[in-house]
Amino acid sequence: MDIEKRISDYIDALNEEREPEEKEEASPDLERLFKTIRLVRTLKEPAMPDPAYPQRLVKIVAGRLNGLQPGSCRSAKTGKEKAAPRRFGRRFWTPAAALAACLLLGFLLVTRAGLFKGDTVYAMEKAVARLAGYQGVLEIRSENAAGEVWLNCRVEIWSDSERYAVRQEDGTLTVNNGERKWQLSPQSKTVTVQPLLPDSMGFDLRDEAARARQYPHTIAGVDTVADRKATKLEITPPGGLAYYLWIDAETNLPVQLQTAMHNALQTTYTFVSFEPNATVDPRLFVYEVPEGYTVVESDPGVLVATVEEAAAISGLAPLLPREAPQRILAFPDRIVMDYGDTTIVELKATGVFEPEATAALGSAAGGPLEVCWERLRWRQEGLEIAVEGPQRLELARQLTADLTLPDPDADLTGKARVKVPVDYELARANQQQVDGGSSPWQLDPLQVALTFVNLLVTPEGITGEPQIAMTSFSPVANNGVEAVVAVDAGPVQYVYLKRLIRQDESGIWSVVGYDPR
Amino acid sequence: MIDFRGLTRGEEGFEKAIEQICLATWEPLYRYIYYRVQNRAESEDILQETYVKALTYFQEHQVPREEALKFMKAVALNEMRDRWRRKKRQGLPVHLEAINPEEAAARDQQNIVTRRLLLENALQRLSADQQAILDLRIIKGYSVAETARLVGKTVAAVRTAQHRALHTLAQLLEQDDLMEGEV
Repeated sequence: MDIEKRISDYIDALNEEREPEEKEEASPDLERLFKTIRLVRTLKEPAMPDPAYPQRLVKIVAGRLNGLQPGSCRSAKTGKEKAAPRRFGRRFWTPAAALAACLLLGFLLVTRAGLFKGDTVYAMEKAVARLAGYQGVLEIRSENAAGEVWLNCRVEIWSDSERYAVRQEDGTLTVNNGERKWQLSPQSKTVTVQPLLPDSMGFDLRDEAARARQYPHTIAGVDTVADRKATKLEITPPGGLAYYLWIDAETNLPVQLQTAMHNALQTTYTFVSFEPNATVDPRLFVYEVPEGYTVVESDPGVLVATVEEAAAISGLAPLLPREAPQRILAFPDRIVMDYGDTTIVELKATGVFEPEATAALGSAAGGPLEVCWERLRWRQEGLEIAVEGPQRLELARQLTADLTLPDPDADLTGKARVKVPVDYELARANQQQVDGGSSPWQLDPLQVALTFVNLLVTPEGITGEPQIAMTSFSPVANNGVEAVVAVDAGPVQYVYLKRLIRQDESGIWSVVGYDPR
Repeated sequence: MIDFRGLTRGEEGFEKAIEQICLATWEPLYRYIYYRVQNRAESEDILQETYVKALTYFQEHQVPREEALKFMKAVALNEMRDRWRRKKRQGLPVHLEAINPEEAAARDQQNIVTRRLLLENALQRLSADQQAILDLRIIKGYSVAETARLVGKTVAAVRTAQHRALHTLAQLLEQDDLMEGEV
């Protein structure tokens, strides 16, 4: 068989989570390319078992150890018994098992083997692009690490091009007509005018379609959401936790989004009813103050046509990227530039620039650059600039030429004079604790350094206020993987830390060394 | 934390002890296995066998608690090696070199982090086209036809570019000694 075809078949097999079938022995050169493929694939988040798998596994393992099923074993994949005593190194296929295997194979072929894999996302993008407007009812539920689920709210949504209106259960109606955003509250009989930007609906169909396309994703199965058949997509943002998006099989539009578990909380947005291309009453988007209502202005800002206008209102001399913003909103103390999925906020720099403790640090305009989730923040020419969204890097580089991102390859901890032995198993257990919502201080390198240094000072434990106060600790460097913290009091001058288990914002820090004073 | 109390067959709390051990360790073990076999179904099977073997051993031998996960990884590695050996007899390739399982398990984390960095670095040295094709095909999991549509090439051109990209990448990885060892 042609070598290029064999390589492609090999990749397809791995993508479909099945063992590559090699009809003829691979040459050493081909085997080398197969190995390269497997290596590249290690960059991808593993395809995880379904949520019920751990409990099934426990039952099967307990059953086998109890000797309850001599000569047979159960598959934790399906929970069904397999007549396959592995110890004899041979499989015995009963007709029932063969039938089950055929059904399973059929299911895999339909759901995973490419009949609509990939095309699902294309189809969704197209469907979202064609969507002129919609109306629907969205339920937002939360689930904690203990598995408890509760309904946060249920809202009605009307969306028409760039305009939208959202009504909550208590009747509060929030409307954004592209020129003005306001909230009408029947209970307090007020109309609160709000800033147009930044603006987020929480679950925006267009944003979700774009993210699904942009990030690595796999089809995780077929589900029923609000009585509708939906394809479940597992989306893995680079360096982040996987989350799920369900796409309606009929309309190809997203119907449900489940975030990853963050701080022991997971949110699920579900369209329990959805009418695409619905005719939305245009009067909904007309700003009118009902009789008997009072207007409350909460610094709504002014939509301006030119930068000069924005400068006059804010009193700032704004810096502009080469690319022109879609909209500019001016406030008395700041200017917000809207680039669709990304915003730039510029305000007057006051006091000392203090990056968030959990942020990685780079440099920009000769000073520190804060890199935190999807936001870059730095100071330049008397302004504090924050760029947030997917285009942040491109836009930030248009503002300052000397922008350097943290280098995750830089060895920050190698020069520690005293090495602290690391216990990976303990770090793993701590990471799991933090993932479950406990001890979030371990995500903050300053807090970890504080605990470490104070335990050196008082090995019997920290009671009351620590001897070396938090004010003595300051970040020196942080590339997102390694960090250095300076301590200006006590026996330690510098603490060196590393994210041992996970190298993203959800990874805990561990001390790997220090310099005595 | 892993607790071995109650891991004696017939004793009260036997199943509870198994549950506690499995729930505390299944995910790192599964990831450890998947990293090597790249297949969910096989990873699940290997994980199941690993627990049966490791827990049977724990019933009769003392293993320090802090060593338990390392021990289970070594058992998993042995199980993977056995499977690969069986496949070799069936004419399938062997992907794993003879290595000391305990050592391999212990240095696992450092290896994974280092390899990942080297691998990402090597990928960045490919041309933009080659990077895009490997990303779409292997990381994002698109078919050749879908990839061809995305990058504006023919299916045949994507297959050729994919072959060349992998060939160049293999050479770069060999320079970094990344082609040594398992996976």
